[in-house]
Amino acid sequence: MSRSVVLRLAAFLALLAIIAITFGSLSHQYLSRNNISAIFRHMSADGLAGLGLTFVIVVRRFDLSFPGVASLGAMTTGWLIAAGHALLPSIVGGIAAGVVFGVVNGVSIAIFRLPDIVTTIAIGSATYGLSYIYSNGATISDNFMDSGILDINDRQIAHLDAPIFFMLVLYVIATVVMHRSRFGRSFYATGENPRSAAFSGVNTRGYVVAAFVLTSALSVWAGILHCAEAGQADPSAGDGFLTPAFASVYLGAALFGTASVPATFAGTLLISAMLNGFTLLSVPYYYADAIVAVVLIVAIGVFDPRLVEAFGRGLRSGRVAGTRA
Amino acid sequence: MNDMTLNTDTAPAYKPAGRQWAARYSLVLILAAMIAVFSVLRPDFAAGGNFEKILLSASISAIMFLGVTWVIAAGEIDISFMEVAALSDMIVAGLVHAGYGWPLAACLGVVAGLAVGAVNGFLVGFARLPALITTLATGGFARSMAAVIGAGSSLEIGSTGFVGRFIEVRFGFIPAVTVLAVILYAIAWFAQERLVFGHYLYAAEQNRSAIVEAGIPARRLIFTLYVISAFAASIAGVLLTANLASGQPRIGSSFFIDGLTAVLLGGMVIKFGQPNVLGTFVAVLLLAVLVSGTALLGWPDWQRDIIKGVLLLAGVVIVVRGRRRSGRELVGEH
Repeated sequence: MSRSVVLRLAAFLALLAIIAITFGSLSHQYLSRNNISAIFRHMSADGLAGLGLTFVIVVRRFDLSFPGVASLGAMTTGWLIAAGHALLPSIVGGIAAGVVFGVVNGVSIAIFRLPDIVTTIAIGSATYGLSYIYSNGATISDNFMDSGILDINDRQIAHLDAPIFFMLVLYVIATVVMHRSRFGRSFYATGENPRSAAFSGVNTRGYVVAAFVLTSALSVWAGILHCAEAGQADPSAGDGFLTPAFASVYLGAALFGTASVPATFAGTLLISAMLNGFTLLSVPYYYADAIVAVVLIVAIGVFDPRLVEAFGRGLRSGRVAGTRA
Repeated sequence: MNDMTLNTDTAPAYKPAGRQWAARYSLVLILAAMIAVFSVLRPDFAAGGNFEKILLSASISAIMFLGVTWVIAAGEIDISFMEVAALSDMIVAGLVHAGYGWPLAACLGVVAGLAVGAVNGFLVGFARLPALITTLATGGFARSMAAVIGAGSSLEIGSTGFVGRFIEVRFGFIPAVTVLAVILYAIAWFAQERLVFGHYLYAAEQNRSAIVEAGIPARRLIFTLYVISAFAASIAGVLLTANLASGQPRIGSSFFIDGLTAVLLGGMVIKFGQPNVLGTFVAVLLLAVLVSGTALLGWPDWQRDIIKGVLLLAGVVIVVRGRRRSGRELVGEH
């Protein structure tokens, strides 16, 4: 572990400690076992949308469609369950519906070279509309009690709440894949220098498509968790994902110098810990957007290489730590 | 990546050939065809009262999207415009609800919009932060503040004041708001086509470093564009408050896709592949006709969401193909 990573880790832990001490002193419930579990539960949905987005950001693209895709996938799963299918095929079906649009995004952007922002906004609108197709927008909860979908939210696995367990497993897998395999490094190569990556034999277009597919699949899973918690599938499943997901990726990248899976985990943890704290202090829910917005602006301000450079010059007389992200 | 030619296709002597003419005005033709089809299918579509409704809603949208057109034309993006409108809408409603007069409320609503625009312009233009993420955040902030004013719910107001009286005014079946929108668009068209500002605007998209080297204050230009975008959106927000006789904190989301669709579809009109104010106006009318016609035919909202998504995608494909032919690329394209 290099010195700069240790410093960055220390900075992250310091921020986490500041949040914990601040809210812990304002509310004695904050550091209770139940509340810490609530923070991780909050992360397990929002944090997974951010995990997916990390791949897209690493290949230097944007995805604004994942909230719509999450809604469509969650409604597909709900509809399959209501139609009497077993839990696993229903979840696979929902994720497959999301993956279809991940492929559409990826192919439009990587192969047909359409602009990412507008394309994913269009796909987001279309998928959000499509999520109404099963029930005309009504919530679906038939068969939810017997199908076992509620267990995804309620069960305990290895002494952890199931959503937290799944989140940790997915983060560990993503970390290994992204940072310990040739496949994962190729995402970075595609993002940082697509030309030299292509000359080195990396199928850059394929990796862009893969990034969009991963974002779609993970955000559908996040949408399904949302349904398991609510006890019903509804088209608003993905509504709150957009800004927090971007904020966690960029906050993580600001802290660790570049977007990565552990960085997103750190970003999500900080944001969830902060939002949970404000909720405990009975700050109304509608302030959440503003809090996340301020965090996001500060994060991109720090993330911005020119500002990092400017601060670096000010603090360490010319030496700039970290790589440009 | 970018070529150096500036607005070759706006040269006054340019005479498009027949096929190009059809491409340039295809959106206008589609609009006319849609009006004809809906009028045949639903005779009440063509009734004066319905046209009046279409014009009123289209005019408010058109005012809201005026400035976004230029932000996108200059190669940046603004996804905070609809939340700026929602914030102005709620500020006006909150002040009127608290007993203040309409003139003060309307002014402060617009000032709040200008403030968000200035923050966007500063962060994107001067601090050079990425436009998408910046406006995602400022839009989220504006949405949050709009909700704070009504503590999360909408605010009914007793009087709609001078803005309400203005919205009621009709010239025949044409609402005064439509006249206002046409005047604003005419001024914008003049600025875009006849002033040096317009040339800088398109030059900023085509070759940012070249205009910097040419001594054009690019940062100030981008700043100004974001301020104009927020200004136009906040005027629309004030009009919305009076039109709905209430403040609606969540009204923004319904204008998001419409705004981007209008700007990008509008890029097909006249200046092939370049967002421009005339095109936005035509595209806004087209969307309003589509919404009204399909509503009369009994289509639910979600089908329109799908159609708008497909239209937006079609607009992007057309704009990108138009630009590839002339060697230019669109914001966010790699």
